[in-house]
Amino acid sequence: MTKRLDMDYEVIVIGAGHAGIEAALAASRMGHETLLVTMSLEDVARMPCNPAIGGLAKGQLVREIDALGGEMALAIDETGIQFRMLNKAKGPAVWSPRAQADKQAYHRRMMAALEDQEHLTLMEGEATDIAATDEAVKGVVIGDDTLIHCNKIICCLGTFPNGVMHIGEESFPGGREGQPPSCRLADRIASLGIERGRLKTGTPARLARESIDFSRCETQPGDDVPAPFSFRTRRIDRPQAPCHITYTNERTHAAIRENLDRSPLFAGRIKGIGPRYCPSIEDKVVRFADRERHQIFLEPEGLESEEIYVNGLSTSLPRDVQERMIRTIPGLEESRIVRYGYAIEYDYYPPHQILPTLESRVVRGLYFAGQVNGTSGYEEAAAQGIVAGINAALSLEGRPAFTLGRHQAYIGVLVDDLVTKEIDEPYRMFTSSAEHRLVLRQDNADERLFRYGVRYGLLPRDLWGGTIGRRKSVARARRTLEGLSLSADTLPGSADAAGKGAQRGKIGAMDLLKRPEVRLRDLEAQIPPGTLDLDDRGRGALEISAKYEGYIARQRKFIERMIDLERMRIPEDFSYDIGALSAEARIKLAKFRPVTLGQASRISGVRSSDISILMIFLGRRRQEAGERDRAASEPLNSETDAWRDRGVSRETRPLRPRHGMS
Amino acid sequence: MDRDTIVALGTPAGESGIAVVRVSGPAAVDIVDRMAEGTRSAASHALVLRVLRDGTGAPIDEALVAVMRAPASYTGEDLVELSCHGGMQVVSDLLEEIVARGARLAGRGEFTKRAFLNGKLDLAEAEAVADLIAAETKLQRRVALEQLEGSLSRRVGECEKALLDELALVEVSIDFGEEDVPVRAAEETRRTARETRERIARLLESELPGARLRRGIRVTIVGPRNAGKSSLYNALLGEERAIVSPVPGTTRDRLCERIHIDGFTCWLEDTAGIAETGCEIETRGIDLGRAAAGRADLVLFTIDGSAEIDAGTVAENRRIDGAKVLLVINKSDLVARLAAEDIIAKLGVSEAISVSALTGAGLEELRRRIFSRTVELDAGALRRERIAVSARQADALREADAALERVEAIAGGSGAAELMSFELRAAADAFGRITGRSVSEDVLDAIFEKFCIGK
Repeated sequence: MTKRLDMDYEVIVIGAGHAGIEAALAASRMGHETLLVTMSLEDVARMPCNPAIGGLAKGQLVREIDALGGEMALAIDETGIQFRMLNKAKGPAVWSPRAQADKQAYHRRMMAALEDQEHLTLMEGEATDIAATDEAVKGVVIGDDTLIHCNKIICCLGTFPNGVMHIGEESFPGGREGQPPSCRLADRIASLGIERGRLKTGTPARLARESIDFSRCETQPGDDVPAPFSFRTRRIDRPQAPCHITYTNERTHAAIRENLDRSPLFAGRIKGIGPRYCPSIEDKVVRFADRERHQIFLEPEGLESEEIYVNGLSTSLPRDVQERMIRTIPGLEESRIVRYGYAIEYDYYPPHQILPTLESRVVRGLYFAGQVNGTSGYEEAAAQGIVAGINAALSLEGRPAFTLGRHQAYIGVLVDDLVTKEIDEPYRMFTSSAEHRLVLRQDNADERLFRYGVRYGLLPRDLWGGTIGRRKSVARARRTLEGLSLSADTLPGSADAAGKGAQRGKIGAMDLLKRPEVRLRDLEAQIPPGTLDLDDRGRGALEISAKYEGYIARQRKFIERMIDLERMRIPEDFSYDIGALSAEARIKLAKFRPVTLGQASRISGVRSSDISILMIFLGRRRQEAGERDRAASEPLNSETDAWRDRGVSRETRPLRPRHGMS
Repeated sequence: MDRDTIVALGTPAGESGIAVVRVSGPAAVDIVDRMAEGTRSAASHALVLRVLRDGTGAPIDEALVAVMRAPASYTGEDLVELSCHGGMQVVSDLLEEIVARGARLAGRGEFTKRAFLNGKLDLAEAEAVADLIAAETKLQRRVALEQLEGSLSRRVGECEKALLDELALVEVSIDFGEEDVPVRAAEETRRTARETRERIARLLESELPGARLRRGIRVTIVGPRNAGKSSLYNALLGEERAIVSPVPGTTRDRLCERIHIDGFTCWLEDTAGIAETGCEIETRGIDLGRAAAGRADLVLFTIDGSAEIDAGTVAENRRIDGAKVLLVINKSDLVARLAAEDIIAKLGVSEAISVSALTGAGLEELRRRIFSRTVELDAGALRRERIAVSARQADALREADAALERVEAIAGGSGAAELMSFELRAAADAFGRITGRSVSEDVLDAIFEKFCIGK
């Protein structure tokens, strides 16, 4: 007999990892009574793998989560112990912030945010069942018999669904180290008619800090001036800790090779597919046999923590082999393993079954975010969490859904990839996945996304005002520079330029700034102080706009070219039973059920001719349905269309229906 | 996708009483409004008489203007029809003015294509088009399969692979920049770009014959004054287009008309006769003629067989690439001053043909010669390369080449990986349009160009 809890919630979030936290905070901040259920309050916001937030492409995601009003950036700014801007040697489009986290401090910081949040309740317990019909969800069962009613459920289960851990010849059920898996809920989700698959990931050993000889390793310090993740953080004053670098060698590789038969990966006991971009050390040694060494980063798990994370040495080899191989590495000869590396297999629910809002197509009102969608990474999870949280809230309010385009955000790319690609290995964000990378930069995430954070009440309105203000002063400063001519003789690289017969004397200041070797501060040395009236971020923005000028314009052109396809919405009940479509396209389209023609075009196996055919039939359908179908032909979410403000007028979109057909 | 405004002449080209110019697209009404005040406020589907003016306010023509607002128009977009006086000058001024104001000349079948995309055609037509697309795609695939062993697809494929490999190497250094991966040196990327550009250049060489077959051969008549060039021109056209007179220098302009020889399109061009005169207009005409000869695929160097060959004529003949000269000795109805062999020797050409524009003698042989010379030319080029790229493929190749040129510039300058990647991607996308890897509307465009569907 199931007990009913007195309290009803509008939203229940299952799982308090990085996805669950952002989902719960977004929903509750939008004013909806939200319950966050976790198997262990001790492990809220836990980082079971590397002690770091951000990194290439992931740093952009964190900046975007922040620009939407999420918590991750603020939390890492307050608890990070080493900040670095990656790819600084390359152009600003591919700079990414990364920080080492103090795991325990990060957990405490997130707990505080959750506990202080209005409309949000935390609960410790295991969610075991979902009460649902095809049309709606009714509630979540906690433990054996407590049903809590709700209207929306967001599943952020991480690696817990039917998790099985492997260390050497041993395998045992587990969600992560020291915790049981979630099996009843995982099976229940499958019984709702949701297809599932199996993935694998892994983590390296942790070593005792005092047992490592750091003098035998290279030191990697953080940046002199740490750059915050959050647009709301003014400055980071916390003490910074270094990381260290060492390398494997032939002896390490020999130890691994000799024991490959004891590896669950190579012995075939692990069936789930692991990430190619983050292979275990045994994988690396086998696949790149000619490499003499592999780089290892030693990363502290916290300022006070005695544990050191051995980045680059992910493994599921037996414990004795882990010990043997680690002790072949310079600096680690005497090291002591505190926790052993392991591999974990878990269920995921292939994301062709979700909508771009992250709501299940199969069970309405049920949302999925994080590893359950086949992704990997704290940042990827958090990004989905905030999208799911906002959409659950919007749906409760009957408001239009929130989706971001590929041209608007890495988050848009992430979600779009999930709903259009076969996800059969853990999905990680890369900058190269973002074809509009030059406009999706970490420095302009606020310009791209603050409006949504403000619109949904997740950010104070004045933040957006500040962004607009800065944009205006950058435009002003630009005009000032355009009217100035400066001497190029004293600038860097001017000797080379003169040697090549370049013109000497006065040159337009803006043209000078376009040169890769010229920095804004070089120009400012020649003009009265205060002429430009810009803060640091404004100065950065001006410089980027000069260096990328032309490229950004061309990128915008590409975007405009593709955007009409993105606007053409495919009705939910559209039948792909069209003889002219290729057989493969028919199967794939029926499987992914793209929401827009743009998405359809990105599904592998769908050819341009199929898109042309769809266009014609969509045009037909519009004509037949006339007024009735007009709403359905609107873009998925006209609200989220930043291009409206960029001079692309509605009148220049001939494929959009303007009126009912006469 | 089509978001711009297009313009085209809706009635057959050439002199006619009334010509209809159609403008379709979001800016159609605005563009015409700026040429004829009050268009914007005009009622839909009503004819009004308006004076159309150019940018300076000078009138171009008086025309009946009909505004058909979206979606109740043929294309489903805002459509303006201008019925103007049919003179070619008026029509070309009008088209030029509309293009200057932001429209673009429509491609073949583009109005119909827009009508389709905007759901303006009935179900049967829509299904017919869908089937055609499918069939066309199958055809393309079959052609592609047939070409698989041919050198075109192999070479294009090699270029595409080289670009994708290079892109991957550049991307690795961006996305794994912090890891222990080899950084791709800009110089390496530059080399790939340069080598690929060389391959593209070789591929593009084979476009020439292909393009010639499609657009037709340019045949230009040049020669000294009063050699009867315009008579020859008229004789080949079979009608009186050029004004002929015994007065030397009658033709001062270039004239150009299309003729068909065995189903093969020729653009026949008449030019002003070559002579040293003080007349500025005539000199200008001569310059134009020389330029035309430079562009021509075949030059009919025409002389009067009954007259002396002066030093100027010999010099003029030398100015032209000998490989494309066909010497025409005109006025074979008159007494020849020199034997054909002597003329050939004097001018240093390889062959000559005697004709009489007046009687028509030798004209059939001349047509055959024009045909064989040009077709031989193309067949030869095709044999050399054993490949032929279409205009569409050539466009894509040129786009890729331009992007790779920029890759070379970046690699030699800042070496910015993200910008090289951007350009490599643009180049790879251009190749993708040839190999069908990327989504584009090529197929649909091809359909509407090739098949007459709809109204």
